Amino acid sequence: MTTSAQTVLAPARARTAAATATVRRKQGFQHGGWFVAPFLALFVLFVIWPLLRGVYLSLTDANISGEGASFIGLDNYREALHDQLMWDALGHSAYFTLLVVPCITVLAFLLAMLAHHIERGKWLWRLCFFVPFLLPSTVAGNLFQWLFTQGIGMFNHTFGIDTPWLTDKSYAMLAIVIETLWWTVGFSFLLYLAALQGIPDHLYEAAKLDGANAWHRMVHITLPMLRNITGLVVALQVLASLQLFDQAVVMMDFGPGPELSTRSFVQYTLEQGFTSYRVGYASAMSIIFFVIIAVVALARMWLLRNREEGGR
Amino acid sequence: MERPELNRRRLLATAGGLAVAGSFGFAALGTGADALAAGADTRVRYWNLFSGGDGANMIAMLDAFRKEHPGIAVKDSTLQWGNPFYTKLAMAAAGNRAPELGVMHMGRVAGFSPGRLLDPWDIELLAKYGVRQQDYNPALWNRGVIDGRLYALPLDIHVQLCFYRRDVLKKAGLLGDDGLMIPVTSTDEWFDVLKKARKVQKKGLQTIGLWTNDQNFQWWFFVAFYTQLGGQWFDDARTQVLFDADKATQVLEFFRKHVTDGYVIPGAPTGEQFINGAPFTWEGNWSVPVFSGAKLDYGATPLPPVFGRQATHAESHSFVLPHQSGRGGATNEAAHELAAYVVTHALQWAAGGHIPAYRPTLSTEAYKTLTPQNEYVSAMNHQATEPKVWFAGSTGVLAQDLGPMVVSSTMGSAGPAAVAQRMKKELAKLLASKNPMDGRTAAQGGAVA
Repeated sequence: MTTSAQTVLAPARARTAAATATVRRKQGFQHGGWFVAPFLALFVLFVIWPLLRGVYLSLTDANISGEGASFIGLDNYREALHDQLMWDALGHSAYFTLLVVPCITVLAFLLAMLAHHIERGKWLWRLCFFVPFLLPSTVAGNLFQWLFTQGIGMFNHTFGIDTPWLTDKSYAMLAIVIETLWWTVGFSFLLYLAALQGIPDHLYEAAKLDGANAWHRMVHITLPMLRNITGLVVALQVLASLQLFDQAVVMMDFGPGPELSTRSFVQYTLEQGFTSYRVGYASAMSIIFFVIIAVVALARMWLLRNREEGGR
Repeated sequence: MERPELNRRRLLATAGGLAVAGSFGFAALGTGADALAAGADTRVRYWNLFSGGDGANMIAMLDAFRKEHPGIAVKDSTLQWGNPFYTKLAMAAAGNRAPELGVMHMGRVAGFSPGRLLDPWDIELLAKYGVRQQDYNPALWNRGVIDGRLYALPLDIHVQLCFYRRDVLKKAGLLGDDGLMIPVTSTDEWFDVLKKARKVQKKGLQTIGLWTNDQNFQWWFFVAFYTQLGGQWFDDARTQVLFDADKATQVLEFFRKHVTDGYVIPGAPTGEQFINGAPFTWEGNWSVPVFSGAKLDYGATPLPPVFGRQATHAESHSFVLPHQSGRGGATNEAAHELAAYVVTHALQWAAGGHIPAYRPTLSTEAYKTLTPQNEYVSAMNHQATEPKVWFAGSTGVLAQDLGPMVVSSTMGSAGPAAVAQRMKKELAKLLASKNPMDGRTAAQGGAVA
């Protein structure tokens, strides 16, 4: 009898379970769908649609007025790949990234160590390091424009030098890098601090018992435990730095910097679209930039996957 | 009758609905209020790019107009100077949401697709309100004419000037009996003047401000001196580049010498140094109110004719009619009336340093006693302007491409001769390129009067 009861019950139970799941899924969709709908609508309106429209425009010779555009195939892309100024602008963005990313990673780590280990006035340290990040880019940019101005700026005054920070092409990008460090290090600092606080104390205790000194503990416990967060910090910084724009244009009064030396890729795209009115061409450059950024992001994922597999 | 139950959800919904409806209501009220308050039936929307002292002068002129013309409601909007302004104007005109009246730099008109984004002026209507072609410098008037029709009504010209400190120059013996700077007619004389001024000036300051790292100023100065040398840009058919690299090299070397001889501190703030005692600075005439406000003893003359011929860079603010598909009728006439009023009542505008384009203003006693305006009013007759092509004009493509090249030569990171060649190459590229607004090259555009 038991067998027959089982044979009868089992499919029935399975059926009910399946039915409940369907109902749940259905209800879930109905409810969740409505909650997500406003976001989806905005996402489609402001992200998906402009993206598709951008791809289409990049294949036309559209101008700013939005009328009379004709399809010209890949001409914009062909022209862009031969546009020396575009490569220069990309070079400036890459150079900025190369300077900012290592500096910000090391600095954020050091500041986090400091805030983590100092016992007195912990909140004050955290506040000091993080607060600049809350400023809008225009405020931070204007602030450093004043600090760097030759003749009256506090920077030169403090160090007793007379460096033309904002007006000489060999210093201009450096000035922007320094401003960016001050302004954005707080975010990476916070990530590091959280990670540091997440390392279990017993690891350090065990190491201490085994006679490891402070240096050993840092090299063999802290740094390995922070590996993942370092990967995240570097990746986020690379992506953010490549998109250099707002602080640079604010510090350079919306110009391209001394002898075009701080004109970033984003700024050049904007100029093509809104000074030269070549919306089609600017769209093509945006798509090229999109591909570059996507490649960087994918490369990171690929590298991380390799590392994870190697770790296993 | 059952009263509807008032619960939290219903209350929230009602409150939310009221808030939304209310905001729409206020918005509607806002748009109507401007016209209603003035009790006027004709409304002229007027977009301009004047801020600071210019903005205050323009608003004063508009207020005067409002007082005399209660039947016309002027709704003026001031937008950010430069490319943001032109972008908005272009998109508004293309989207048929354009204002009745706008302001543009004259150099930008040719590239602004006159006929599509701009409507032509009605010459007879202008004459009815007192503005005629013969009241203008012919060259200036013709800058606004494209394909035989007037698209830009000049309000002023604004020029690059050589400002000098009378107190310093007097010590150096560089003032004439009339209290004005002694005339200079060659580069040697000019550097001699700088040398003498440096001997008596305050130490630690530069001798002259040249905006050495500003691509706009360096470009404007280049246009001035290149024109003094009689340099040309393109042939009349706009098919050939006539840019003379040798003449350009001469100009670039002249700029560079100011830096190598130590008369300029690159990057030093020019206006501030002048106020603190630097003997010279080259600036736009819009610095007049700044220096007058600082109570300096100073004069201002057109850029020195060091290459033997008077010419200083000039650009003009002008009134334009952004394209409206239904342009005409009372609002259009009111736009003409407003523009004509401002143009013919430009004495206030002259206080901002600009030279009024309407010549009868220049011969009034009030203008003749304005200093230093009366010292540089002659610049009207020696204008060095950018070529009349679609890519020219204030902060336009031409300035954006060539300005940084001039800077790189003046700052010393590239040799003058090499830069001159690069400029020529870039001009050829621009001449061959199509105006994105209508897909035509300069040769096909026919943007010549």
